[in-house]
Amino acid sequence: MAGIATAQSGRTVTGVVKDVNGKPVADASVVVKGTTIGTTTDSKGMFTLTSVPASAKILVVSSINFETTDVSIGNGVVSVTLKASEDDLGEVVVTVPYGTVKRTAFTGSSNKVSASTINKQQVTSVSRVLEGLIPGLQATNGGGAPGSGAAVRLRGIGSVNASSSPLYVVNGVPYDGSISAIASEDIESIDVLKDAAAANLYGSRAANGVIMITTKRGKGAPSLQGSIRHSFSSRGIPEYDRVGAADYYELFWEAYRNSYVYGSGQTMAQAGVNASNILTGSSGLVYNAYNVPGNTLVDPVTGKLNPNAQLLWNESWSDALFRTAQRTNANVSISGSSDKANYYISGGYLNEEGAAKFSGYKRYTFRASVDIKATKYLKAGINIDGASDRRDGLFAGGTATSNPFYYSRQMGPIYPVYERNLTTGAIVKDANGNPVLDFGTTAQMGSRPYAANSNLVGTLALDKRQQKRLNGNFNPYIEISFLKDFTFRTQMGLNYYAIDALTYQNNQYGDAANVQGRSTVSNDYQFSLTGNQVIKWAKNFKKHNVSALAGHENYKYKSRSMSATKTGFSYPGQTELDNGTVVESPPSSSEDLQTMESYFGGVNYSYDDKYLASASIRTDGSSRFASDVRWGSFYSFGLGWRISQESFLKNVNWIDEMKIKLSYGESGNENIGYFYQYKDWYYADGLGNFAPPTRLANKDLKWEKNRALNYGVEFTMFKRRLQGSIELYDRRSSDLIFGRPIEPSVGAGNDVLENVGQVKNTGIEIQLGYNVVRKKNFDWRVDFNISSFKNVITELPKAQREKGIISGTKKMMEGKSVYDFWLREFAGVSAATGRALYYRDVLDNNGKPTGNRVITDDATLASFYYVGGSAIPKFMGGITNSFRYKNFDFSFLMTYSYGGRFYDGNYASIMHYGSAGTALHVDAKNRWQKPGDITNVPRLQNASGQETSSSRFLLDASYLSIKNVTLSYSLSNNVAKKIHLNGASFFVNVDNAYIFTAKKGSDPQQSFDGVTGAGYPPFRTFTLGATIKL
Amino acid sequence: MKNKSLSLLLVAAIATTVGCKKGYLDTAPSNAISLEQAYATIAAINSGLTATYNSTFDFAVGNGNTGHDNYGQKSCDLANDLMGQDMIVHSQGYGWYNRDYQYVEWTLPNGTGTRSDKVWSFYYNVIRQVNLLLDNTKNQAVTPDLESARGQAYGIRAWAYFNLINNFQQTYKGNETAKGVPLFIEPNATSKPRGTVQQVYDQIIADLTQAETLLNGKPRASKMNMDVSVIRGLRARVALVQEDWTAAANYANLAKQPYTLMSNAVYTSRTGFSTIGTSEWMWGTLITDAQATIYASFFSHMDPSQLSYAQLGGQKKIPNALYDLIPASDARKQVFTAPGTGTANFPDYCQKKHLVPTIGSWAADYLYMRASEMYLIEAEALARKGGAEAQAQAVLQAMVGLRNPTYNAAAFTGTALINEILLQRRIELWGEGFSLFDIKRTHSGLNRATGAGNHGAPNFNPIVYTQPDASPLFLMRIPQRELDNNTAMTAADQNP
Repeated sequence: MAGIATAQSGRTVTGVVKDVNGKPVADASVVVKGTTIGTTTDSKGMFTLTSVPASAKILVVSSINFETTDVSIGNGVVSVTLKASEDDLGEVVVTVPYGTVKRTAFTGSSNKVSASTINKQQVTSVSRVLEGLIPGLQATNGGGAPGSGAAVRLRGIGSVNASSSPLYVVNGVPYDGSISAIASEDIESIDVLKDAAAANLYGSRAANGVIMITTKRGKGAPSLQGSIRHSFSSRGIPEYDRVGAADYYELFWEAYRNSYVYGSGQTMAQAGVNASNILTGSSGLVYNAYNVPGNTLVDPVTGKLNPNAQLLWNESWSDALFRTAQRTNANVSISGSSDKANYYISGGYLNEEGAAKFSGYKRYTFRASVDIKATKYLKAGINIDGASDRRDGLFAGGTATSNPFYYSRQMGPIYPVYERNLTTGAIVKDANGNPVLDFGTTAQMGSRPYAANSNLVGTLALDKRQQKRLNGNFNPYIEISFLKDFTFRTQMGLNYYAIDALTYQNNQYGDAANVQGRSTVSNDYQFSLTGNQVIKWAKNFKKHNVSALAGHENYKYKSRSMSATKTGFSYPGQTELDNGTVVESPPSSSEDLQTMESYFGGVNYSYDDKYLASASIRTDGSSRFASDVRWGSFYSFGLGWRISQESFLKNVNWIDEMKIKLSYGESGNENIGYFYQYKDWYYADGLGNFAPPTRLANKDLKWEKNRALNYGVEFTMFKRRLQGSIELYDRRSSDLIFGRPIEPSVGAGNDVLENVGQVKNTGIEIQLGYNVVRKKNFDWRVDFNISSFKNVITELPKAQREKGIISGTKKMMEGKSVYDFWLREFAGVSAATGRALYYRDVLDNNGKPTGNRVITDDATLASFYYVGGSAIPKFMGGITNSFRYKNFDFSFLMTYSYGGRFYDGNYASIMHYGSAGTALHVDAKNRWQKPGDITNVPRLQNASGQETSSSRFLLDASYLSIKNVTLSYSLSNNVAKKIHLNGASFFVNVDNAYIFTAKKGSDPQQSFDGVTGAGYPPFRTFTLGATIKL
Repeated sequence: MKNKSLSLLLVAAIATTVGCKKGYLDTAPSNAISLEQAYATIAAINSGLTATYNSTFDFAVGNGNTGHDNYGQKSCDLANDLMGQDMIVHSQGYGWYNRDYQYVEWTLPNGTGTRSDKVWSFYYNVIRQVNLLLDNTKNQAVTPDLESARGQAYGIRAWAYFNLINNFQQTYKGNETAKGVPLFIEPNATSKPRGTVQQVYDQIIADLTQAETLLNGKPRASKMNMDVSVIRGLRARVALVQEDWTAAANYANLAKQPYTLMSNAVYTSRTGFSTIGTSEWMWGTLITDAQATIYASFFSHMDPSQLSYAQLGGQKKIPNALYDLIPASDARKQVFTAPGTGTANFPDYCQKKHLVPTIGSWAADYLYMRASEMYLIEAEALARKGGAEAQAQAVLQAMVGLRNPTYNAAAFTGTALINEILLQRRIELWGEGFSLFDIKRTHSGLNRATGAGNHGAPNFNPIVYTQPDASPLFLMRIPQRELDNNTAMTAADQNP
């Protein structure tokens, strides 16, 4: 090597490495550029290099948390100042509304996620990246549907009926488009603003926090970068364990026998005979998967399967409907800058198959960003981006038969995918020798008791459930500097988002065969326009540093939709409406319009970089509310004290940086989900009639308010080995827009919207980053965060205070959280009768509970209680371990949530009492069978009338997820140069590697409110990828 | 310096123009009119009224529950028949209405998915719609068209309360002081107590009286609208439950006047019970392809001749016990599949009465009232009031004689005559939604026939075979949401 060859003629170079505050940087790596000659700094930041070749001119100095810096080797001691890098808590700037702020001068609460972290995860929507990385952020897993994103909550649940989602702002403009239209490769950073001081300038839209997405701009020498990733995905949450055919028949025999005994009063013997006779009959399970006659399949006395019976078929619907899916993602970008301009142009391609067959996502993206410094006083720039995508297999959710996840779970084990010969069990073939699918109709093997006339293997292949979307942004600005300290900037943000959807049920099989196919075509587009004008002023006099801004913004959102449905499609696969013959839903069109106008201003002041103060105010008018209540003002202020700048701490060596901060402010939440709910409207019913309103209007409706207090400390210590922050908050949401339930006898729907009620979220967030090892060839850093919040309803509508507000499995009461379970309390199973037991209140003569309670075996009489606590976890967070060995990087991210419970409706649906045709969980084998049995699974009984929700199906929602594991290798600059590259890296990773939950098959991360449905489960993805820079 | 001035000028120009135009913040939906507009013209009023009629067969009206057994009046009617003794469920099928048939539905813990919540919410929603009309037009100048609209609104309200009280309480007679249902005669949102059965019937009679006055002599747009004959038909129904035999007989007689009974050919055709133009239909709804609710419709649950819930195992059948009571010469025997002739789609005893007119289309009208019912009411009231037996026989003969040429009503007298009329009700009105209300009204209790061709295996298990008169199982439970949110009710207001 060059170093060895020239060692004889070397010289010695000494130097010192310090940070911008003049503190020494220990363990920094100092290498002679283009060689392997190097060393590390000592605790005083000093280094000595020997045998430096005479030809060497440059040293490369790097250290974790700092930007790598090249310095010239001059004469004498080399002095190096390292700037903190943006990849850690020492990030330099925070993106805030209408600008940026130096992190050290920032008094609010925010966290940043940088491009390198984002790119480790294979996500289509960047909303999925944030879980576990941002303290105080709670995310659902968002399911695994191709192209889907995650839902996010910041600092608790701030609203009940209105949106609790944060506001997304992209490149400085509130964003209404599709998040998944932004290629994650194009993202430079994400700033999550959590407190009022940080977010207040977005006024009535900031109450739930703000997620600021900044896309890449050109930087440095012109370069061409390309990356490609290829992935394999399969479902990340396994199916529940369900019983097989033999158990299934025995259990159903018992369910039928018990129905005859306990339901109809027959003797055990008589009932046993009847149950054996009915078992595979038309009002039983219909199908006989064994080779013996149906009435001899199960012994009428013992209830045991006929020992001579042999299973004729055993098929897996999951295998038939799911697959290992592939994903390909390729991106290319050209970027660069000069002192007059910078540019970034990129294109991307993504093709993501769904883990369920017939589902997938395809996306093309492009982006072009340019900033030009035209003159000394004029700057202008533009960002234009577009995405065209297509989603296939937008399956119905919930209990719809066309939902493959629900369907394959609920289908009893005896029902085959393919039609079978009832004697031999052989698959029936059609005239062309192709296997015939079994649709469960009388014309085939009988009317299947679960989901007759359906076979998703057949129908999903012929059906279409797709969306084609077009998302475009046009984002220009002009910035003028004038006088000495003023700038004026006007920016426009225009988003166009169109969805062209087709739902086609085929004309051959399934639900629409009787009408020769059904096609629904809809065209929706939304258009939003934001324009703002901001004047800024900034001035330094001596130690005083003041900046201020004032501005105006207007916003217009238009959403237009059109749709129509036709039936009668004669030619298979012809789905256009022109090919249909009968109008089923006449063409409809409608348009909604929302507008907003705002004025705002803010001041930042710091003294000697030590004492910080900020204040802001915003006034918003919104078209969502009646004219006399539509204007509102929101303010905030923040204070900070950089205690580490004080002389008494200057000499404390182990403290590098420390800031104490406090903020308080008010913001609003105008996203109530309705545009005109302050007034009664008679909507056209599609047939030319104007129908009376089905919901009560409320002319006093206005936004929700959110008052938030935030305080905490940020620190960097032990020679930058440890960074961290501790923050506490107290968020009080008031004027909550409540869907206050009304009695159905009013005849106006289920609830009315009112500004009543208050919710308080208090919490703590701790974030720590520790550099365990910082050596030349080996780094190990641990990032850890934990957060916890408490949610309490502090005020409910007056009329509801006593009775509370019951909604599904929850009841809201003052002093309780918004997600406290309210259910029948399961009291086990009667050893004598096998009936499920519940608690019941004893009532006095006025119908009021006396406080005593008794046990009942009649679910219809059970009382409801607060059982099982809340869906809100006790604490949650994430841990990232990052290792670097030479050119290898290895990291893994674990996210966790502890405490809280969830109602596992999926589990409940396969723990039924004997609903013919529906699969049973293996736990059903523990059912009560005879007097004296001690168990917690009630006796099976077809048509028991006792199927009900209760605390029996509440499970622990804790989970630990290995969310991302990444191993990457970067070519060293030397090697890269040799093959004429500016850099190259390769990686392998696993997303959603494993999730540990209370019960196999459960998905506790599906929702915030602790209710699970049969949605698209998340998937596990293995990826190989490479990035090359020219 | 020049630059500076230019900039200042520009800033000043922008700053003065940034404020948005007045009215920028006033927005409105493009497909709706305001409340004021909705009652400003008679055309708008009638359009709202049509929307109300349409809501009686629409999907998920009331509580918004999207179960495929929640499609307004006929979903209530079907449950009513399934809880009686004359309709058998072939097999579990897709499960819809299984729990009604098995008498577990009404006792279920409440939620929007339960029958009682659906029924309650549906009728109260309709009541609010007509209350809005009545309230917003009360001070308008009286015109015949307005009177007609208001008359219909009163009629619809009475109809809704009559259905509510019969679902949520035992029959009228002997239960006058029992708990009623909340009475809303204005579109307000104030909690109302249950009151008494008597109060509900008083309101029904008052509304029908108003409606009769307002609609008398006025034409109607179509048989989807109530006219005076429908009001009189309702009045007869109410009087029959109140055991006001004179009124029942008089109103039934008046109500049936404008109508001709359908021929046997029509009775046994695909269209007799699914086409509003059928001569004896008094009131119903026209349902086009564009308005049909597909699988979530009455004919989906009834007609197995096309792919429907009925064809998928949910066939509705007549018990052998009743089938055998229909003479072979009676045309009505033909609307049931004769034993031994069954097919996979139409098993033995399967009904063929309620069929869609055209296979492959869901366009099929709903029947709410027809003249034969008036004959039966008139005959029963005359037979029960005493001293009018001959008249009763004549009315019965006029109706049944048309169906069965060998029929002789004069052969029945006294109690036998009354029983014969009740039997004819079961045959004639099979599947039209009268079973449970009749069981309650006539104090007969539930008696489901067993044995071959009747209730029980191999048919779907009914669980419940008999119930005594006035069984609490005949009462829908007040929706839990009502008890939870109605400040004028307590847990003690729940039905037993």
